[in-house]
This record gives sequence, C-alpha cells and structure tokens, in this order.
Amino acid sequence: MFGRRGVELVKELDQSLDSIPPFNEELITEILEEMQRLYNENRIDVNTRPDDHETYLSIKVRHAVLKRDKRCILAYLYNRLRRIRQMRWEFGSILPPEITVSLSKPEVQWFDSYSKCLATYMKSIGDNHGLNLTSDLAPPKSLFIEVKCIADYGKFEFGDGESVQLKKNTYHLLPRSECEQLVRQDGCVLLSPRSLTVNCKRHCERKDQETKRESLSACRSL
Amino acid sequence: MSLCSSYKPNYFSIDDILATEERLSCKVLQKVPRLGFMDHSSESKDLKPGTKLELSFWLAYSMNKSKDPIASIDIPKYYKESYREILNADACAIELSKWNTYFYEFGLHVAKFDHPDCEKLPELLLKTFKSRFRLVMDWAQNQDTNPMIASQLPMLERTIFLSGRKSKEQLVYWFKIGGGGIKTTELIANHKKRKRSTFIENER
Amino acid sequence: MDPNEVEFLGEKQLVSIVPNFNFDMIHLISGSIGPFRAGLPVKIPIWLAINLKQQHKCRIIGQEWMDVEDLKNIKEEEKKSKVFTKMPSNHYMDEVHMLLGAASDDIPNADEIRTAVKDIWDIRMSKLRTSINAFLKSEGTHAKLDHLTAMEINNVRPLLPHALDQMVRLQQIGQASATADSREESQNMSSI
Repeated sequence: MFGRRGVELVKELDQSLDSIPPFNEELITEILEEMQRLYNENRIDVNTRPDDHETYLSIKVRHAVLKRDKRCILAYLYNRLRRIRQMRWEFGSILPPEITVSLSKPEVQWFDSYSKCLATYMKSIGDNHGLNLTSDLAPPKSLFIEVKCIADYGKFEFGDGESVQLKKNTYHLLPRSECEQLVRQDGCVLLSPRSLTVNCKRHCERKDQETKRESLSACRSL
Repeated sequence: MSLCSSYKPNYFSIDDILATEERLSCKVLQKVPRLGFMDHSSESKDLKPGTKLELSFWLAYSMNKSKDPIASIDIPKYYKESYREILNADACAIELSKWNTYFYEFGLHVAKFDHPDCEKLPELLLKTFKSRFRLVMDWAQNQDTNPMIASQLPMLERTIFLSGRKSKEQLVYWFKIGGGGIKTTELIANHKKRKRSTFIENER
Repeated sequence: MDPNEVEFLGEKQLVSIVPNFNFDMIHLISGSIGPFRAGLPVKIPIWLAINLKQQHKCRIIGQEWMDVEDLKNIKEEEKKSKVFTKMPSNHYMDEVHMLLGAASDDIPNADEIRTAVKDIWDIRMSKLRTSINAFLKSEGTHAKLDHLTAMEINNVRPLLPHALDQMVRLQQIGQASATADSREESQNMSSI
C-alpha cells in the first residue's frame, strides 16, 4: 500500500549491513506496478478533470507516492552497487560463488566493467609502469611474512613461476606481495610478527648464501 | 581504515529514507476524491475532511507544505514542551532510542513544518546532542562497555559511537601486537561466518 | 587514520645505532643514509634500524629522552600543568612502542620507560577528553591545543570530527528553518 513496499526494500539493505542480500526482483516488480498504476490514474484525472480543485489534490498525493517509490528503488540499486564496488577491493577481481548468486545479471556486468576500469587505471599509473592499488592497504613492515595455513589450498604459484604446496597446519615464509590477498581472504593466518625475527635471520642467511653463490658463479663465467 | 566521512543525508541515504518513514498524526482538512482507502476505518471512496490519520513524514509533508494544505499535522509528543523540560534536566539519563531511533534526524525534518512548537526544535536537538556527547565519548573510549549498549542510542549517536569504538579497538590491538599485520576484512570474515553456519545447518 | 599509518609516519624519525658492519652511503628517495662503519654510531630512520636489528647487524641506542628520570620529570610537569606540555618527540608513543619492541635488550630500564610513557599517555588522554567536553559545552567555534602528538590526535579520530560535523549540520538546519520562506518549499519537495 502506498509507498510501504519501497521502504521494505530499503530495510532489507539496512538489516544486512555486512553483506549483500539476494536481488529482490519480485518486490521491485511489485513497486514498479504500483508506480505504473498511480501514473495511469493521474493521467486519467489530468485528462478528464483538468480544472477540478479536488482532483488536483489527489494528483498531488499520488505524485508524492510516485516520487517516494522512485527514491526507494534508486536508493536500493545505488547502495547495492556501492557494496559491490567495496567487494572488488576486499575479495579481488573474482567474487566467491555465494555472492554472485545474490547479484542480478546487470550487477555482475557492472562489477566486471568496474574491475576492467580499475585494472586499466592501475596499469596506467607511473607512465604505464603499473601499480597494484589493492595490495598493501596497511603500511607493510617487511618483505616476507610467516603464515600458517588454516585450510587446504593446494598449489600456490608465485609471479615468477615458483610454487608452493599449501596444506592445512603447515607454516611458510612467503613474500608479502604474493600472499597478501590470500591472508585477507582468510585462507592463511598471519603469525605474530615476533616470530619473524628468528625465521627472518635464517631466511636472510639462506638468501645471503644464495646471492654469494650466484655472484661467484657469475664471476667465474666472465 | 579507509577515509570515512560522517553521516550526511542525501537522496540515496538509507538512514534518511528510514527517518522520513517515521509517523506523525495528521488531520485531513479538505476532501480528497478516490483516496478513501488511506483511512482503514472508513469505507468511503473519498478521503473526508476531519479524518485522523497516522502518516509517514514524507507524505504528511507534501500534504501540509503548501499555501492550501490538505492536512494539518501534530508533532510527536517527545518534541513538545513537556518533554523538552525532561531533556533540559538531564539528557544523559534518557534512553533516546526508546522515544525514537531517529530522534535527531526525524526532529530536523519535523522542524520544517510551520508549527509553533517547531521553532525551537533545532536548538533543542543541538543542546541535547552536546550534553550527551560526553556520554557517547566515554562509552566509546572505555574498553569495558558492552557493545550491545549501542542499541540504547539513537541512530546519529550510534554511528559516532561505533566509529569511535572501532578506532579504540584498533589502538588497543596496535598496543598489543604492533603494526604490519594483514587482517581479514570484516566483510570477508562475516561472509565466512555465514558460510560456516549455513554449512552446519545443511549438515543437520 | 589507522595507528599503523601513524606508526608508519613515526618510523621516519631518526635513531642512533652502532652497526657491526661496514657499508657506504645509501642514497634513497627520502635522503641519504650512512656511511656505516663498524663500532661508530650513525643516525638512521627507525624502520631501517629495526630491520638491521632483526638481522643482528646493529645495536640500537635509545633516543636521548628515553631516560627514566627525565620521563618521570615530564610526567610530574604534565600532572601540574593545566595545558599540554611539549613532548620530547611528536611520535613519542610509537617510537617507544617500536624501539622497545625490537630492542628491549639494548635500551636500559625498558620496562620502567614503558610504564612511565604509559602514565604520561594516560594523563594526557584524560586532559584531552576533559578539554573536548569543555569546548563542546561552551559556545566557541574553534579551539586550539598546543603540543599534542600525532598518536593522541589520532585517538580522537573519527569520533570528534564526526561529532563536530553533526553539530554544524544541526546548527545550519536550525538557522535555515528560522529564515524559511515559500521558495524553500519547492526545493524540499523534490528531495523527499
């Protein structure tokens, strides 16, 4: 009745602040039907009784309801898009299936074109050198972090081709840039940075030896 | 924490839509044909003058705000003189959300009416907000307050309380653990929680 | 802002270290560091000092103001004064947190320093809360507080700015409706 359904749409969003509820196609169709009905009634009144003062009052009231319904639907769509945009920054460019199921087709298309825009923009930073803005959202402290896997992930490949097998309850020392996305998506858990000192030393010693070996072999080949 | 700005109502704002949905009592002044269904108690086709209705603010405003109003409005009792004195006495002791969750927002909208009680309304809201701010700040900065206490606050104070509390939690975390960590974002954490609970339900 | 971000800014402060290796000057975008000579103290940014300490390549010398007696005097002055006193560093809290976290064995009386700094922090924070409340109760339009450090200012974000925004909004709408006329009617109609 009279604008109440519109508020139900908005309340749906208000009650689920931390996620996105399934797209309520049914309710939107109902509201659009109400809007169409009100518009038709107004049009009939304007055409048949243009000078009647009382009819003018009904038209005014119906028009207010039309505008309210329009506002509710637009706010619903707009706020959903804002949450979807936020998800690009949280989940990355591929959304989990539980979320895509809640989106309508145009919203999925919107997400894809937003991802494309973002990727184009990020590539163009610094004279086309490129910069991933979605990584390092908090200032990083070190190049490597120690992580504990809390789920079986399988093979994880780095950018340079190396890969590592991520099994549940194993510990790894991984480059921060590669595994930041994994940690934020809850596949791995960051250990306390204090434990980093011991492993960092061992790792640095290992790296020192490797670089020494490489430079020695490079010298020998000259 | 990304750049967060404070609440500013706009066309798309969910809180503003919900605040303008709050109801007022109105009395119809003129006959409105073919809208009799708005009054549930009468069976007449037209809306007759003298009918008393409870309308949402947005509808009441469009029916009242003109040179020739369709309906007159009566502002809610908690914005009137008697309740004003209660607020002046001790604003902090009152659970404002019991009066109205959108106490401040709705009050600002109601102040737009041409009613004698509305003139001093914005002043009252400002004074109440200032005197209650200490309470909100203390609750937010104190680690031991139960976060459920936020439901006692009206919407405007609640958003400020929650953002203050979040920044306090980040500070405490920083004191304990230090910087440099990568944390799962709230969005993802809640998503995983929901996944786990639906998985457990399906297993049953 | 995050405490992490404030700490990031605090890491740029210089601290003295004694390296145990030799290295030439390093030229970075933010400035030149070094040269490093084993056994000779050199001033470098905190982020680099902590990194070197974790690799056991240096010993960190605490800041000059990280002395228990000096800090106790600062605490007494802070207690007596009604306004905020000047702190030895704009990032005293994060520097203590970082340096004592990484090098508590190098800096003498680490625990007592930590306690003294925490006490100073508590005194200043309660002063800040009282002055915020006094400012809001008064009809003033602006307030000035000297000698506040970055982390303390960050502690009241976003609570204070948001509350002030809302007050401005309540005030402006109050003034606007006091001078309302029929022209506003059509504007308001379109916003509902």
